[in-house]
Amino acid sequence: MRLQLIHFSDMKYLFSLLLIGSVLAVSAQDDITAGEYKKRVLEHTEIDFLVNYYQQDGENAAVTGGYGTEELQDLSPTIVVAVPLNDDDVLTINANISAYTSASSSNIDPFDGKQPADPFVASSGASKSDVWANVVGSYSHSSEDRNLLWNANLSVSAEFDYTSFGFGGGRTWLFNEKNTELSLNGNIYLDTWKLLYPIELRPEGGSFQQVVPGYDPSFNEHTSKGRNSYSAGIGLSQILSSRMTGYVSADFILQDGLLATPFHRIYFADKEDYFYENFQLADDIEQLPDSRFKIALGARLNYFVNHRVTLRTYYRYYTDDWGITSHTASLEIPVKITDKFTIYPSYRFYNQTAADYFAPYNEHLSTEEYYTSDYDLSKFSANNYGFGVSYTDVFTKSHIWKLGLKSIDAKFHKYDRDSAFSASMFSFGVKFVVD
Amino acid sequence: MKMKKKIVLLAGLGIMLFSSCTVLKEYEKVNINDPDMALADRKIDKFQTTFQSYREAASGANGGKTGGGCGCN
Repeated sequence: MRLQLIHFSDMKYLFSLLLIGSVLAVSAQDDITAGEYKKRVLEHTEIDFLVNYYQQDGENAAVTGGYGTEELQDLSPTIVVAVPLNDDDVLTINANISAYTSASSSNIDPFDGKQPADPFVASSGASKSDVWANVVGSYSHSSEDRNLLWNANLSVSAEFDYTSFGFGGGRTWLFNEKNTELSLNGNIYLDTWKLLYPIELRPEGGSFQQVVPGYDPSFNEHTSKGRNSYSAGIGLSQILSSRMTGYVSADFILQDGLLATPFHRIYFADKEDYFYENFQLADDIEQLPDSRFKIALGARLNYFVNHRVTLRTYYRYYTDDWGITSHTASLEIPVKITDKFTIYPSYRFYNQTAADYFAPYNEHLSTEEYYTSDYDLSKFSANNYGFGVSYTDVFTKSHIWKLGLKSIDAKFHKYDRDSAFSASMFSFGVKFVVD
Repeated sequence: MKMKKKIVLLAGLGIMLFSSCTVLKEYEKVNINDPDMALADRKIDKFQTTFQSYREAASGANGGKTGGGCGCN
């Protein structure tokens, strides 16, 4: 199903409903009376140390036009510090580093002179590894009666060929004696690419036209480096019974600017193939429209079976104006083994249709306006199996210096597509409370 | 146009459904306040959500990235 663009002026019905909800929420607020106990939003400073190891492999790298190794390893340490500034306000700083080595990225320049270039062999060039660093600061405020919250955030992230500056905010209303929660949020990201092209298409790569007779790619450099993303979201949660609670949400995302990746090669079916060593030289790079509108509708439903078992379910429908529709469904079943230990097996199913502009390796025609052989935009289904273990000590009896141990989490994921791609990850997290 | 009607219909149904629920007092929320009943991903799942935003075309409506901030989908 193709999506028709929904202009913001056409969304007045939706926002009318939200407005009615907001008015109901405000009218339902009950002020705290003099002398009544007010609980702090956050009692003590909390620190989360998280780390994740991720690895993937596949045979359809977009860097090599949909044909080549996708081997990648990533290590991501993260620290999250939440500081109560007073009874009502909390400042949270989230610092994250993602250090990766990627065989496909290394093949932006596969000609390292150490071995014959090959789309299934990693090069030792500079692009074989990179570090993505990200810092997010957010500030939240709760009203005296805790029925109104607002938050604002700033984020900065950078890696070798990509920088991003983001900001946003949100507002949440609680009403019906905190049985119902309505939230609105918005975010803007202003991103900039450093244009990094496949080596044979760079000005200094002109030597390939001298050593490979007939090779004359139809390549024009991008004129834009910017990518802007604007998102608006609404969410509504409700306690449905003493054992059941639900949540529905919608996100509307508009992106414009350079939405293609500059180093993704394209091979045309109607152009002759040229090779240097064992590596096919690019005919062009990925070309995609300069705007994309996405809609994601999500729902969660949790059910408390008994004091040991809970069911956590999630479903999402997604569509965009590039022709992609997607369904996501997941189930997690936390089981309390003891008062402190919980195990939580999970399963997630995902599928998507292909973007209108996708075709496999060497199947695009040079007469097309837009083209990509990025298999992340292809039609596929994926199964994700997870298993987690959690240790929680609400009394934080164990201490390291002034840090009281509150919880430890570990989780393993296995992800398999119905194409030649699989991934696995191991995540570990420790939460401390500062005395 | 069809999508707009669907969204408005879903939002309206959601508000009507939720507003018809019984209201629990704080002391009746023992089960609801269990940490496993939180209507959000666990903090440790943020890595999985980020990985999905790179490797899958869909994003949003999950508390994670909606687009932007990385060279991902």
